[in-house]
Amino acid sequence: MASAASKTAQPELRRSVTPWGSFAWGYSDVGADIFVGLGLVLAWAAGASNVAFLFAGVVYVCIGLAYTELAATYPVAGGGQYFVMRGLGDIFGFIAGWAVLLDFTIDVTLFAWSSVDYTSQLVPALVNSVHPWLHFIVVLGLVVGLCLLNVVGVRESTTFNGFVSALDVMSETCILCFGFLFAFRPHLLVHAMQFNWPTPYELMLGTSLAIVSFVGLESISQAAQETQRPASIIPRTSVALILTILIFALSYSNLALGLHPWHPIVDAAGHPIQFWQIFPHNADNQGKAVALLAAQVPIWGAFAALYVPVLGAVLLLISSNSGVFGSSRIAYAMSTTDLLPSVFKRVHARFRTPAISIVFFSTIAVVELLFAAGPALFPSVGSLYAEFFHGENGLEFLADLYAFGAATSYSFVFLALIGLRLTDPLSPRKFKIPLNLPLRFRGERVEFPVIAVVGFLGIFSILLFTLRTHPLGRVFGPSWLLLGLILYIAYRRHRRLPLLRSERRDWRSAQVDILRRAGELELMDEYVANVRASDARRAAKGT
Amino acid sequence: MILCGAVILVRMLPYAGAGLAILPGVVLAGAMIALGLHRILLILRARRTS
Repeated sequence: MASAASKTAQPELRRSVTPWGSFAWGYSDVGADIFVGLGLVLAWAAGASNVAFLFAGVVYVCIGLAYTELAATYPVAGGGQYFVMRGLGDIFGFIAGWAVLLDFTIDVTLFAWSSVDYTSQLVPALVNSVHPWLHFIVVLGLVVGLCLLNVVGVRESTTFNGFVSALDVMSETCILCFGFLFAFRPHLLVHAMQFNWPTPYELMLGTSLAIVSFVGLESISQAAQETQRPASIIPRTSVALILTILIFALSYSNLALGLHPWHPIVDAAGHPIQFWQIFPHNADNQGKAVALLAAQVPIWGAFAALYVPVLGAVLLLISSNSGVFGSSRIAYAMSTTDLLPSVFKRVHARFRTPAISIVFFSTIAVVELLFAAGPALFPSVGSLYAEFFHGENGLEFLADLYAFGAATSYSFVFLALIGLRLTDPLSPRKFKIPLNLPLRFRGERVEFPVIAVVGFLGIFSILLFTLRTHPLGRVFGPSWLLLGLILYIAYRRHRRLPLLRSERRDWRSAQVDILRRAGELELMDEYVANVRASDARRAAKGT
Repeated sequence: MILCGAVILVRMLPYAGAGLAILPGVVLAGAMIALGLHRILLILRARRTS
């Protein structure tokens, strides 16, 4: 084991992220999601939007707890694909990682798109339905700009992330406090739920879109790689992050359904309508829901109408940037474990960044942008979408794929958690998901995680909802996975590596190395003691 | 946070007759109270160790 530790003398990431920095990192990723998800869910789930968020939120809490346990036990930046590769094997690790890569590329386009939508609240020339070409060019400019910044190696600092996150938490808290105190009418909420309950199809669609508001938990494991003593810090910050995001999502959906608007809202015929009714069949409104809601909060709304679009646009741009950065990092991690060709870990000689990886995945993000913007830019493409894909708009197309990628990778993460609990019971777990069944497996005492089964059933049902209700998602999502599998098989065959089986790896040495690098020396000692005790027990049984 | 959760809970309770319709509101109030308590526990633990 010691030899393995000394053998790996590669440059490693500096562990300088503080507990607040770790929270802010996660928040700037996941916190921006509600800015995108709220309008889409209100448009489809109508009076059951809060139920859709509640269901997706419960699943999200399970996912968050799973990531927290795994990131605290295995603090490496690879995230979901690493856990799945270690728990289920190489090919499943590849599928999970490839699905995460889809999410990261969608992340780039979707959040750049939404960032422009929020800006359009103050700059009407950027409204997509009025000036689709200008909207497209600005989004394209943002994607290309972020790509170039990442190639050159300019990243937003942890301090900047922390500042924007703190500002956003304060802002959202103010909006919600003022909203619930002065504009929330419980009878409007109950009325909306009783008289505008969606059809089962719409509820499934709304629920699958609600998961979009909770995507980005990969950041927990990425932060774990750069946090000092991650096994202690990550559980604390993650639980706070999970609860904060859950509260914001539930609050916004309940407030939107029960909101008594500050300024009366009327339909085309001049009849007063409820706030949430401005979202169905209006893609422009769907893209900037939080800004529209904030403007309808009494008193605070006068001020919020000016700064929320700016704050939303900045937070979404940070999230978009994390997609560019994250995709190159995941691809780097996958290529170091022979799941992707080594070209993805090639570093630019001058800028010291994975330039090829960044440009490759940014190009995919641009292709996705073309598919999303196509119907608005070219009427012939619009009629094609109307005929074959229920006339989905650009935002829905991106959200479809986002939900598909997230549901696929999270499903595997739950299975990996169960697998690792059974096959790696010796690794010390400073944080464990509650509700475990003690049992014996291959001579070792293990704890079977019941919550992981509940979470898997929840996220798998969301995956099925996505495939059932998203005409574009069910074509492009599986196509992406198929393309990846072809690439994987071709690469593994070229390298003469096992196709369906996994490479032999010394996970024990790897675990000692991971804990040593993380500064978790007590856990490392505990792990080594567990391994020795286990070996001694097996030797005693053998004799 | 705890106060905000309690206010929402109190305002939703008169509509308990609506059945499941108040569930998301009650869960929201519960989550707010839980987060508030979690923060207080963290602060107390940090003070005890320092």
